[in-house]
Amino acid sequence: MRVGEIAVGRSGDKGDKLDLTLVALDADKYAWLEEKLTTDAAQAAISRVMPGVVTRYPVPGLHALKFVIDGALPGGVYATLHAGLHWQKAAIWVLLDLEID
Amino acid sequence: MQERTVAAGAGFAGDRTEPAVALAASGKVHAIGLECLAERTIVPGLRARKADPEAGHDPRLERRLRPLLPVAAANHCRVISNLGAANPRAAGAKIARLAGEIGCSGLRSAAVVGDDVMALADRIKWDDPFEGTLLGAHAYLGVDAIAPAIEGGADVIVTGRVADSALFSAEPLSILTDDGDALAGATTVGHLLECTGQVTGGNFEMPDGDSLSAEDFANLGFPLARVFADGTAELGLLEGAPGRIDRLTCALQLLYEVHDPAAYITPDGVLDLTGVAFEDVGENRVRVSGARFRGKPQKLKVSGFVEQPGFIADIEIGYAGTHALNRGRVAADALHMRLDDIPEDDIRIDLVGVDSTLGAASLAPANRMPEVRLHVSARCPDAELAQIVEDEVYALTLSGPAGGGSVRSERRPSLAVVDGLIDRDLVKTDIVWETAP
Repeated sequence: MRVGEIAVGRSGDKGDKLDLTLVALDADKYAWLEEKLTTDAAQAAISRVMPGVVTRYPVPGLHALKFVIDGALPGGVYATLHAGLHWQKAAIWVLLDLEID
Repeated sequence: MQERTVAAGAGFAGDRTEPAVALAASGKVHAIGLECLAERTIVPGLRARKADPEAGHDPRLERRLRPLLPVAAANHCRVISNLGAANPRAAGAKIARLAGEIGCSGLRSAAVVGDDVMALADRIKWDDPFEGTLLGAHAYLGVDAIAPAIEGGADVIVTGRVADSALFSAEPLSILTDDGDALAGATTVGHLLECTGQVTGGNFEMPDGDSLSAEDFANLGFPLARVFADGTAELGLLEGAPGRIDRLTCALQLLYEVHDPAAYITPDGVLDLTGVAFEDVGENRVRVSGARFRGKPQKLKVSGFVEQPGFIADIEIGYAGTHALNRGRVAADALHMRLDDIPEDDIRIDLVGVDSTLGAASLAPANRMPEVRLHVSARCPDAELAQIVEDEVYALTLSGPAGGGSVRSERRPSLAVVDGLIDRDLVKTDIVWETAP
């Protein structure tokens, strides 16, 4: 299943950290996501695209999972070599488009 | 129970100006916060202030306040903003002059000063060592710096660097019960409001692709919140304003950029957001409660700006028609060969429309793409190398795959934002008052 079929998400950043939030649509979907989208699974997906170390923060009360990637944006968002500025606003799709069995 | 209604009228320096006017005109809002100062937005202000001691505030100040001030004054709505950027004192004086010009004689502005800690640079503990020239250093102030301006009855409060949430939580401060959780609640409301449209349906899409319509996005309402004495609140939109506020939009904004949700650090307190609850209490009305206070930090965050030599050159060239994707790929390979002297970490070449945003995580492209754009960005220690990279892209029009064109390029100066900490006792703030003639 694609993560984005059961959750909404948003990307943010501070300094060289990328800050990703997923919110599952209900408690059952959250439980599935919390079990399947482990720190290791997220790290594997993230590492295909950018540097940095993933820390996961589950927030069951809000059906939310947060992933903070330290060092994902070397030098901060203005030092990027992506086209234009603020590519990281779309970075949540690295997780939303992840297919998990 | 006592309550105060606060609204969000801007969430970044270039935000739309009409929603603030609509909120002030409603007569329902005690204070409207305008968040206009991103990390880097202060840098042009620092440069302007160096040339002219009366410059350095947000250059959009007049565009934003000219339509708002008369409406806010007529509706007893206080305006609280960080439009002061690198020069809040000059901004306060300018606001009083502007108010006098547009019929708001007697309006009182209060400038919050003291966030500029450049003079205390040797007392700042930077997270990481850095190279380059420090242009400026600003501490993130909290509500305690703004409160005297509210107690003094300011109509407009203008600040430099403050925590974004404080622009919204300062107004209800006086009615909060005297416990940390109430302050944590009000600060949380500030955090929910500070990005305006991001909590009312902007930057939001449901799994099935459903989102607001183009018309709704074009006229999106900004949020307001009734904040109660215990720090709980009810978020909503003005009646008839397009948008969407529900459990999902609120949860995404609550957790936006907070890192550890059990320890979100603001100057007004370390917040535990893990117990926050959102309850839909009506159409586009959400009740928020459950933020917990985990103590007041003894140090304030400082943002520093460091100018480094060199540029980032960012250039694109487009290909269209049959085989466009293939021609773009060949052009990318050729450019790699031409620029192979540049260290791998200092150059990125990709295809806009294919993989320029998500890289290896991009979806597979269609076989027949109507057009693609080759993009290259390179870190260049000097202008000469930037020129060479730009020229190499242009050279593809003559010596590359067929039909390369629609070239554009920009150079961005190399600027780093560095974080540090300073003892809050060292940071002395003050209020500078002005009255509109």
